[in-house]
Formats: sequence, structure tokens, C-alpha cells
Amino acid sequence: MKIIDILAKIDRRIIYLILLVVVILPLIFPSAQSVRVMPPVEKFFNAVDNIPEEKALIIDFDYTPQDMPELEPMAIALLRHAFKKRIKVLALSLYVQPLGLAQRALTQVTEEFNSTAETSADSIIYGRDYVFLGWQVGPILAMLSMGESITNFYNIDYYGNRTDTLLLMKHIKNYNNVGIVAALSPSDIPRYWVAYAQNRFGVAVGAGVTSVSASEFYPYLQTGQFSGLMIGMKGAAEYEEMVEKELSVAGRRKASESLPSITYAHLLIIAFIIIGNIGHFVKRRQK
Amino acid sequence: MNISLDPWIWISALLTVSIFSFLYRDNPFYRFAEHIFVGVANGWAVTFYWHNILVPSLFDPLFRRGQLLLIIPFIIGILYLTRFIPRVSWLVRIPIGITMGYYVGASIPADVQAYIIKQTQGTILTSQNFQAWNAGNMGVVWSIILFVGVICTLSYFYFSKEHKGVLGITSRIGIIFVMIGFGAAFGYTVMARISLLIGRLQFLLGDWLGVIH
Repeated sequence: MKIIDILAKIDRRIIYLILLVVVILPLIFPSAQSVRVMPPVEKFFNAVDNIPEEKALIIDFDYTPQDMPELEPMAIALLRHAFKKRIKVLALSLYVQPLGLAQRALTQVTEEFNSTAETSADSIIYGRDYVFLGWQVGPILAMLSMGESITNFYNIDYYGNRTDTLLLMKHIKNYNNVGIVAALSPSDIPRYWVAYAQNRFGVAVGAGVTSVSASEFYPYLQTGQFSGLMIGMKGAAEYEEMVEKELSVAGRRKASESLPSITYAHLLIIAFIIIGNIGHFVKRRQK
Repeated sequence: MNISLDPWIWISALLTVSIFSFLYRDNPFYRFAEHIFVGVANGWAVTFYWHNILVPSLFDPLFRRGQLLLIIPFIIGILYLTRFIPRVSWLVRIPIGITMGYYVGASIPADVQAYIIKQTQGTILTSQNFQAWNAGNMGVVWSIILFVGVICTLSYFYFSKEHKGVLGITSRIGIIFVMIGFGAAFGYTVMARISLLIGRLQFLLGDWLGVIH
């Protein structure tokens, strides 16, 4: 019984330290972990892959620094997919904080493609292949207004250009010219896209969400309101896997690199929960 | 090991370590980093809204280009500030009323359609819903479990009658579904928090210390 008493009095900081070691070691000594792609992510990938040539992909970057580890790898994977397949991309943020992170992701993936491009046709060019619409007041207002005219609502892009002068925007007027909206958000925003953009204008919506909010979003996948769903780092790793396997796009896979740490941390926490429960029942019996 | 020489990386890294130091115990480094974060976030937001909204969308068009109709939203917006003057603080109800009116009008029909009607349709036992699971014949089983789960969970939250008899049985089954839901949510929460830790560690070990590539 002595060991139970010791475990019951263990300092929480020791628990933190053990958890830290378990998370750090797989990062320093990486091991290959196979990624099994699940149907929600496969559906998302296929929905993006099947966007017709004349339609665009809207990526709504709504993650902030505190959600970046989970949602940025999704954004990078989505952009690699879109640029590889030459799908036109409209990037936007419904809040102001994510703007810098959206620009960072767009710059990174554009540089990845342009570093190997040999001609203008191979390159990713702003205004032709993608447009960063930036931010305008009111998420709901933006969703409703884009159903009428995207250039009327976002008349200036993030860099100060008039959007109606950009080549890409000459063909993309409203949701009729959009294949799917990919909402990467830690909040309720994917549900807003369903309520305001899909309900009224019929546009398809896919969501990339943080793990903590995952259980709220599964029902929308089952009803078909979401055309696909990526959840947390696992979802991002699955999309990275599909982009690399199906499209042969190589690049750093931050989410996939993290999976061993997540696995071992989960096993550790399960072990802690089991030990804690054993201790609880043994102590109760002693009383 | 390839330690970064970029001063911004060092600032980020030291602030991250200061925040993590709270796990040991509260200390001046943690409080310093916390105050810096709140101050910078607010300062950045005020500057951003001033330069990206108020000036280009209101002050410039109204005062420099003479678009006088903008005086209406300008006055409505100013009314928010009457809250600080007790004698006329009641005027704040006008912009609040307009904002609420707009959002309630826009959201009620959309919410009912997207969150109630469509979600209820998803629980009905139809062949279309069976196929939605992409699970072959098991789709029927999953749909029945979903149907039973929804009915029983709703019955658990029905408080107008004592939970006895049939209602007692369904509400007890309902609580099992609720607990499974909580368990799944907890598991996902653990994954989320570990992911955030990994994100910071990738920065500290990669961008700062150069231990991982």
C-alpha cells in the first residue's frame, strides 16, 4: 500500500516534467509513424480535388497564434494541394488577428512552388493564381455579401490593390464561381459558413477545426452540411499524407512530425488516469 | 545544435519560457510576459482598427471626400460612448438595438434552418442517412444508435416530469450517451492541449535552439 500513498502525494510538477520528456523525445529522435487517412479527411481532399477549373477555392484563415500548431499545417497542406492542381485560391480572414498568419502561409507555399518553377506558367503568381482579400468588418456581413458580389464587398485586397483589376477576380464574381469554402477556425465560424453562405447560396463548406471543438462539428459532417472535416493535428497529418501520396508534393510535414509525440503523450495520460483510479479505489477500500 | 542569432526569435523564446515558468509556480517573469502580451495585443488591435477601418472607411470618406451619408453611422457609433456620461447614458440603447436587430434578423432564419431543421433531418431513419455513414450495412446500425441517442438524451433533459417508468429508463440511457460525449470531448481536449505544447516545443527546439530540423 505504500506505493499508493507515494503516488497520491506526487507533486504535479513531476507529472508535468514526465509529460514534457515524453513529448520532447520523439521530436528530437523522430520515428516514422504511418498515417491512416480517415473518411472525413478523404472526403475533404476529394471535394477540393474535384473543384472544376472555372471555380475557386476560398480558404478562410481564422486561426490565431494559440491555434496555429493545429490549424497552420492544414492551411499549408490545402495550399500545396490547390497550387499543385492549379485551383484558384481566394484567401481571407474574418477576424483581424489571423491576417499575418494567413500571409505567412501564403508566402511559404508560394515560395516552395516558385523555387522550382522554370517558367511563368509553372510559377504561382499573385492576382492570377491566388488573391488575398484580407479582412472586412463583420463575419456574417462578409458571408452574405460575397453571395452577391465578392469584389463589391472586398473592393481592396490585403495589399491595397483594387480587386476588380486583378485577373483572377474577372472570373470569380460570387459563390456561383466557388467550388468549396475551406474554413480553418478554432471557433464557430465553420457553422456560420453553413448557416449563412451554404443555406442561402448553396456553396459547399469544408472545415478544419481544433481538436477541442471537434465533437461540436461531427454532426455537420453526418448531415452532409460539411463536405469534409479535418480535426486537429491528426486531421492535418492525414491531409499532408494525401497531398504527398496522391500529388507527390514534398515539403515539411509539421503535423505528421508531431504524431509520435501525441501518441506517447496520450498513452502516458491514459496510464496516469488508470493509476489515479486504482489509487482512488484502493484508498476508498482502506477507509 | 544551431542556436538562432535572430533577436526576435530570442524575444519570442524567452517570453515563451517565461509563460511556461508558471507551471513551476507564479513568478515575476510570468507576470512580466503576461502583461506584455495583454498590452501588445490591445495596442496592436487599436492601431489596426484605426488605420484599417476608422480612417479608410469612415473619417477619410466623410471628412475629406464629403460623403455626407456616412454621418449617420458615425453618429450611431458615437452613441456607444454616451455610456460614460450618466445623464445621457440611455442613448447607448440605440446602437445596441440596431446591432441586435440586424444580427437577430439575420441569424434566426439561418440558425433554424442550419442548426435545427437540417440536424433533425440527419437523425431520421432514411436510406439516405444510412448511406451518409459510408459504412455499408453498418450505416443502418449507426443511424439507429444515433436515433436512440438523440431521443434518450433529449428525454434526460426533460424536467417537467419525474424520471420514472419509461422516462426513467430513457433518461438513464441518455446519460450514458452524454457521458460518452464528454469522454470524447475530453480526449480531444487532451489532444488539443498536447498539440499546442508541441507547437511551442517545435519553435523552441527548432527555430531557437536548432536541435530539430
